[in-house]
Amino acid sequence: MKKILISGLIAGITLFILSYGGLFLAVQFFPSLFIEYNNPLFNSDGSRDILFYLHAFVISMALSWFWDRFKILFKGPAILRGFEFGLVYAIVSLLPAMWITFSSLDITFTMILSWFLFGLMQAIVAGLIFAKTNP
Amino acid sequence: MIYLKPVLILLLILFSGFSLENKKPAYLTKWVVTKGCSLKVGGSTNINKFNCIIANYSKPDTLTFYSNNTSESLKITGSLKLDVQNFNCFNPVMTGDLRKTLKSKEFPKLTIRLLSLSRYPEFNNKLNTIKGVVTIELAGTTKRFEVDYRFVSDGIKSINLIARRQVKFSDFDIVPPRRIGGMIQTNNELDVEFNLNMKVID
Repeated sequence: MKKILISGLIAGITLFILSYGGLFLAVQFFPSLFIEYNNPLFNSDGSRDILFYLHAFVISMALSWFWDRFKILFKGPAILRGFEFGLVYAIVSLLPAMWITFSSLDITFTMILSWFLFGLMQAIVAGLIFAKTNP
Repeated sequence: MIYLKPVLILLLILFSGFSLENKKPAYLTKWVVTKGCSLKVGGSTNINKFNCIIANYSKPDTLTFYSNNTSESLKITGSLKLDVQNFNCFNPVMTGDLRKTLKSKEFPKLTIRLLSLSRYPEFNNKLNTIKGVVTIELAGTTKRFEVDYRFVSDGIKSINLIARRQVKFSDFDIVPPRRIGGMIQTNNELDVEFNLNMKVID
């Protein structure tokens, strides 16, 4: 349990910096990609900002538990295990979730693709951290 | 002495009557709104700019002008009621967003009430610039603004009135939208321009 929490926390802090730092830089350098976010579908009053920024920790803790439960299935060097873990998460969880989201909400394919890649990147980074901290 | 009291009362009534008569603004003229009026709103976020318009407003609203005996300024009664739902930002996403921000479902009308002009425009001059006062009612909040009008007249009875003014979302107790944790933020300032075509009818 302790290993799950510590690994999750380390992954959470890392993902927080990488995800939101990356997002901030992307908004600065590729603003045209974010124009579609001026959409009434997205919360606009700031009331859920805290939930948005907690996402890195929520996904890290969930993935940390998932890793601890199924890590024996991922064989090979740490880098390979981390990548495979990220891909498994992306295919099992992200792809169906993004599929249903795209099919039901008025959002662009670019937007949904960016979310998929963002989640895949997060899962791979988390997998690499777990492979090192909780082998 | 016994007759003094009624005389004083009579004098008081007479003087107050004259005084009221003098203060009452005198009817001057009427203008009616004709076709082709518009309201433009321009704003920006930290990633883009947007321009939205309510085009082709053509309700025949009437503005009545009263001259003020003590100064050159004119009092106006009359207002324009625009449908917030008619805003078009030339991008469905931005259009929907502006309507939501302006709470169009709760407050479907944007009301511009013209209150006064610093002077009556000269129809002989092709171009006049005049100051005026309006109130704008938006999203349930009414705010008073001074505006600079530009009048273009055809020399007879038709007039084109253009007013520009910078307003703020916060003037109307609207919080500018912010998205994805505040990484996309709408700036508080909005440039508003209303363009009215009018005809003198009386």
